[in-house]
Amino acid sequence: MDQFLQQLINGVSIGSIYALMAVGYSLVYSIMNFSNFAHGGVIMLSAYMGYFAIVLLKVSFGGALLLATLGATLIAVLIERIAYRPLRKRSAPTLYFIISAMGMSILLENLVIATIGPQFKTYPIIFAESTIQLGNLSISKMDIFMLIIAAVALVGLVFFLNKTRTGIAVRAATYNARASQLMGVNVDRIVSIVFALGGALAGIAGVFFGIRYTVYAQAGIITNKAFVAAVFGGLGSLPGAIVGSILLGIIETFVAAWRSQLRDLTTFAILIAVLVFKPTGLMGKNTEDKA
Amino acid sequence: MKKVLEINNLTKKFGGLTAVDNLTFHIWENQIYGLIGPNGAGKTTVFNMITAVYAPTSGEIIFDGDNLANKSSYEIARAGITRTFQNIRLFKEMTVYENVHTACHLNTDYNIWDSLIHNKNYKSGEKLIRQQVNELLERMGLYERRDEVAMNLPYGDQRRLEIARAVALQPKLLLLDEPAAGMNPDETNELVKTIRSIREDFKLSVLLIEHHMDLVMNICDQIVVINFGKEIAKGTAGEVQNHPEVIEAYLGKREEELLHVDA
Amino acid sequence: MEYYLQVLTLAGINLMVVLGLGLLTGFTGLFSFGHAGFMCIGAYTSAILTVTLKVPFVVALIASGLVAGAISLLLGRLTLKLKGDYFLIATLGFGESVRLIFDNIEPLGGARGFSGIEKNSNFISVWLVCIIGIFFLIRLMNSRYGRNFKAIREEELASATIGIDVFKTKLLSLFISAIYAGIGGSLYAHYMTFIKPTNFQLIKSTEFTIMAIIGGLGSITGSVIGALLLTVLPELLRFVADWRMVIYGAAVVILIIVRPKGIAGGKEFKDFFFIVWIRRLFNKIFTKEDPGNGGKL
Repeated sequence: MDQFLQQLINGVSIGSIYALMAVGYSLVYSIMNFSNFAHGGVIMLSAYMGYFAIVLLKVSFGGALLLATLGATLIAVLIERIAYRPLRKRSAPTLYFIISAMGMSILLENLVIATIGPQFKTYPIIFAESTIQLGNLSISKMDIFMLIIAAVALVGLVFFLNKTRTGIAVRAATYNARASQLMGVNVDRIVSIVFALGGALAGIAGVFFGIRYTVYAQAGIITNKAFVAAVFGGLGSLPGAIVGSILLGIIETFVAAWRSQLRDLTTFAILIAVLVFKPTGLMGKNTEDKA
Repeated sequence: MKKVLEINNLTKKFGGLTAVDNLTFHIWENQIYGLIGPNGAGKTTVFNMITAVYAPTSGEIIFDGDNLANKSSYEIARAGITRTFQNIRLFKEMTVYENVHTACHLNTDYNIWDSLIHNKNYKSGEKLIRQQVNELLERMGLYERRDEVAMNLPYGDQRRLEIARAVALQPKLLLLDEPAAGMNPDETNELVKTIRSIREDFKLSVLLIEHHMDLVMNICDQIVVINFGKEIAKGTAGEVQNHPEVIEAYLGKREEELLHVDA
Repeated sequence: MEYYLQVLTLAGINLMVVLGLGLLTGFTGLFSFGHAGFMCIGAYTSAILTVTLKVPFVVALIASGLVAGAISLLLGRLTLKLKGDYFLIATLGFGESVRLIFDNIEPLGGARGFSGIEKNSNFISVWLVCIIGIFFLIRLMNSRYGRNFKAIREEELASATIGIDVFKTKLLSLFISAIYAGIGGSLYAHYMTFIKPTNFQLIKSTEFTIMAIIGGLGSITGSVIGALLLTVLPELLRFVADWRMVIYGAAVVILIIVRPKGIAGGKEFKDFFFIVWIRRLFNKIFTKEDPGNGGKL
């Protein structure tokens, strides 16, 4: 039982990192209808930024987190400007966006290898006493911290989308970009904001990812987990992305505890199962085309 | 004379909205049948149900004695019903020739292996199709423009091309969705002639959705008028024109357009 | 000289996969990020057949294609009815799943790979296969099957209304594209003599798609150009070491924004006006028949 709970906590913890990534990914999908494969690049860069902030700039953990998040936000907005906006202006088909995203992701990964180098980097230990004991369970302080920060960030996002004017404009745009444009919404600005939001979440996720695992240039591959989680929960649905992520984290952790080499395969098995049985995911919406 | 199409108690609901309500009408061999009504009356939805784009909520569609329920779009096309679309759906980047050429794929039966080795099956099949395409293009007055890309054609020609493509399958029933939309009076007259000659030459029936009253009253043998998905009148042009409910449904249109058209 | 032949041979191997992908994406309008998966299946099939079962290379080559094709039928059944984006994601999931599965099959070497494969592929055999592949593809596209593929790409809904069985036609396109990729995999295995699952990762599928797009979708000529260019250029840029892939990534982004139709821009070699002129002349002199349209593919 204790083992079970321990793994459950582990799973939720990983799931919360996936949730940060998946929500950002789903946001972009719902407004631009394409899978942003460069998302992983932002996550990866954020991990590096956090690392260098602590190691080179000697900033505190909180400061590093903040800097990395800001950096990631900026980079995400820049990527949109450079790689996607020109395509959006021409109403290019989705495939072009995906290719552009892939190109961007290759560029970022190799830029890091060419400049910083391919060696893995490890974050220094943040909390001196790293775990808390609850009966027979040990929960790492970092995990608790991550969970809290992730929860705060997501609640903040929900608040923003539902209670602020800009947030409502974003939601309107995800339903119908054209119509909201006619209502006076500046779609360019909205798209930038959406990427900024996704970038911020990716920033936080990147630092957490770097701490939990290591920092390396190919880390962008984690974006696969993010989008599987998003599809699992229902592409375009934010609560779905969160639920899908937590579930994915839990399932993955249990499978890994059983046979560690099957962990990544499980991710794709879930993806295929979802696509075959319920493509709209756990909480996604159905749409019918009018002829 | 046989019945070609039977629409019996056809109903389509989208959630809380009833788009087509208990509609019944029958089309006979070689008939040109009109389906008219104000915008949003449910006409294209009827087409979409006949061609299995939507499944009916209830009711039946019987074509040539066969119930069309559970048939998919391509099966229905192969059974003998083809259509044109309200917003023209040509193969835009293909030429006029290629659009019709593609549609003739069922007029031959060579297989992949035949295509790879270019045997007699393939060669005679392709030759036959080429002849058919040229003939059809000539007849529809599109032969001169055969190498032009479809989306570069003037609007009227695009509509004619769509009809040509639909006719290439040698259908028994042709569904035309607002074929005269955007046409001027001259083009409309041409279209009337085209539809009449198609009916003659190919011995088919036509179900026509149209707003151009002169076209409808001129060419249709029978008409059904619907509004809000329900039938409000059925009969010949003369009978339908003077029906009070029909006049009321079109209230807002100039009376001359509706009432004083010579059949 | 040896080096150039090597690069060109690799280009030929890539070309087989890109030809298949070009059929699926360029001509039928379905995007796939999983064709490295079919290549992987072909490679391992060929390796097993020749090494363990001592089957002759030519038989193994064809069998690899057919096995990959068979698997594609299964994938297609499950996923072709999905809407565009979802099919793409499914292919991505497929590609990654395939290599992860092979990672876990210990008898085939698992993650460490399968070695000891006979070197049957060389410049000549690879390009011979390519030429045959191109020949068949041209003939396929000039048939009612090819026309139906393009119809689906243009207007799926209207295609059904002219009697095209959209699902079966898409499945056929996927099947043939998988066969090409499988054969490419076999050629690869017998060239490298050693294969491991990480040779067939997502990045590989992406590279093939990029080759097809930069060469120009909807054109066999484009596939050839794409495969050649994007195999040769990165080799020429080897001297810039780590920056090579940075340039590659940047080039992809720039090209998709500036010239998305690719180099061939949807046209074939024989569409270049000079060639068309010669063919028109030829037709006028030697045949009375009117091909109806400059014989456009």
